[in-house]
Amino acid sequence: MRAFINSYESQSCVGDTKSLMSAIYEKRSAISIDNSYMSDTPVGLGMMEYEDFFVSLNAVVSKVLADSNLENFKNTLLIVGSSVGGMAESESHYFKDKNYKNIDPSRHAISVIEESLQKEFHFCGVRSISTACTSSANAFLLAKRLINVAAYENVLVVGADALCYTTVCGFYALSVLSSKICTPFSEGREGMNVAEAIAAVLVQNRQTEESIELCGVGASSDAYHMTNPDPEAGGAVASMSKALEDAGLEAEQIDYVNAHGTGTQANDNVEALAVEKLFNGVSVSSTKAITGHTLGAAGALEAIISCESIKQGKIPPQTNMQTQENNNINIPLNVVTQKINYVVSNSFAFGGNNTSVIFGGLK
Amino acid sequence: MKLYVKARSSYRSDLEEISIKKELKQKYKLDTRRKDDFIHAGILGALRLQEQSEVHSCDELYLTSGVGNCNIVQTAKESVYDNKEIMKLFDFINILGNTTSFYVAKALGITAKSLFQISDNFTYFHSLINIYASLQHSKNEAVFGAIDVVSEDISIIKRVLGVEASVSVVSSVCYQKLSLQNKDAQAELEFDTIFYSLDEVLAIIKEEDIQVICSQRCRALEGVKPLVFFETYGASVVNELIEKQENALFIECYNEKYKILKIRAKV
Repeated sequence: MRAFINSYESQSCVGDTKSLMSAIYEKRSAISIDNSYMSDTPVGLGMMEYEDFFVSLNAVVSKVLADSNLENFKNTLLIVGSSVGGMAESESHYFKDKNYKNIDPSRHAISVIEESLQKEFHFCGVRSISTACTSSANAFLLAKRLINVAAYENVLVVGADALCYTTVCGFYALSVLSSKICTPFSEGREGMNVAEAIAAVLVQNRQTEESIELCGVGASSDAYHMTNPDPEAGGAVASMSKALEDAGLEAEQIDYVNAHGTGTQANDNVEALAVEKLFNGVSVSSTKAITGHTLGAAGALEAIISCESIKQGKIPPQTNMQTQENNNINIPLNVVTQKINYVVSNSFAFGGNNTSVIFGGLK
Repeated sequence: MKLYVKARSSYRSDLEEISIKKELKQKYKLDTRRKDDFIHAGILGALRLQEQSEVHSCDELYLTSGVGNCNIVQTAKESVYDNKEIMKLFDFINILGNTTSFYVAKALGITAKSLFQISDNFTYFHSLINIYASLQHSKNEAVFGAIDVVSEDISIIKRVLGVEASVSVVSSVCYQKLSLQNKDAQAELEFDTIFYSLDEVLAIIKEEDIQVICSQRCRALEGVKPLVFFETYGASVVNELIEKQENALFIECYNEKYKILKIRAKV
């Protein structure tokens, strides 16, 4: 059974999906420089506008349902990818009370997102995956496999992560935050911009004229270091190779690689090397200078960017490139208009947890 | 859907009095620095499994937990907000679910995919369905680990899990080597994606006529019920039945929906 993407919506620091794609093609970053998390240290963050993250979450999923052929989600499995779940709400209680007494555990764990959505939409089943920055990419991996074996007809993949002190301060402790808009794949890059987003994608076994096919998924573990990737890029090459194999494609058939491209020294070095090893001149860019790194939501948000680039026939340019570090890969600085058949979207996480997803337009 | 258990390992805090950290250091000569109790427990189960069965680099790794690594969240918050310290590097890293899967993958030499899934309902069932679907594609085998470690504040965990205050919540680590092939299998697991009603479950129990083991959440059902609870109890039931070489139906419940696992471990 093949898997098709038939409906999606997102909310990020840029706004909805339409605003997101406009910003990407106009190279308009939505990163703001913020002092509220660490008063002495300005950091670039991708901050959404909302009063309640969970209200925004329901709004995004409602839009996907409204745009689908489904009357409800009763025959749909929900798979959520999130790195910190309800951490932001627990933090706000802790700040106020200086203890844990008033924390509602049901709104704290990673699974709080699935539970919140389940109450509202009544899915036939739910899963939560927490593999940090590959969380929602791994949700696609599971969605495809489950549809392939006809376990489910519809799977809603939701990537969601809200900004919180834990992630901002945690990445600061790792010395990987940038004080300005990140500069993926540039020489002398400072680091990443932590960001928040909600992205929901409906994957079905049913094909329509508007469908984008979820062609292939691949994953690997470096098992090399808890935070740094394998410098030889073995894991990154393996996840992309497995995705190509799953899709039945050769590397030459890929038109665009939507890179993980966080703007950190370690990730961009290794990802550029992996693309160099596997492809020959394919266009590659990172959209994180526009959206920031949305952590567990990144896989789903960038899946939407990949689908939109196929539909619009426009390859996202690299925003905020200073001096390109690895000149053996092809990073477009302006929009490239061409027919796009297949896109690889990469997500890589700490511990060398690598996932690559291939999306394809229907001929 | 059917999966076969090729090997298993178990640890239960109520059945075995050991210091996991000491065991890792002394028996397995492992560096335990920078890791916390949750990660230590995950590694111990993995190494015990490796003693029972060869683990290949292409085996897929699936770790799951009911409430995840609760303790480290508390530790991290206390250091930042009570002690006014910058978040400790390894506290942050250890909060992330894939850190546990990294350490386990490294201990076992697995380079295929690794997933960490958290769910406070039907945790074991969800993992079995996911693994079945994935192995259908890869044709490899999977290492499955279910890790539930009791937090210092058990009342929070009980609230999260929705179990009665009188029930004893314990730490448990269960690993299984799972395959689609029945050759040399210790047990056959049969399951599906269906949620059953109470009436349907009662009808199936009557029809099957074998021992029934229920989780603590199955309040409306009669059958063997444990005196203890942890979210991944189903994995422990399977390992115990293999030990005893018995068959059974394991029934789990959440919000009045039921799932059934048929376990055949009788030689």
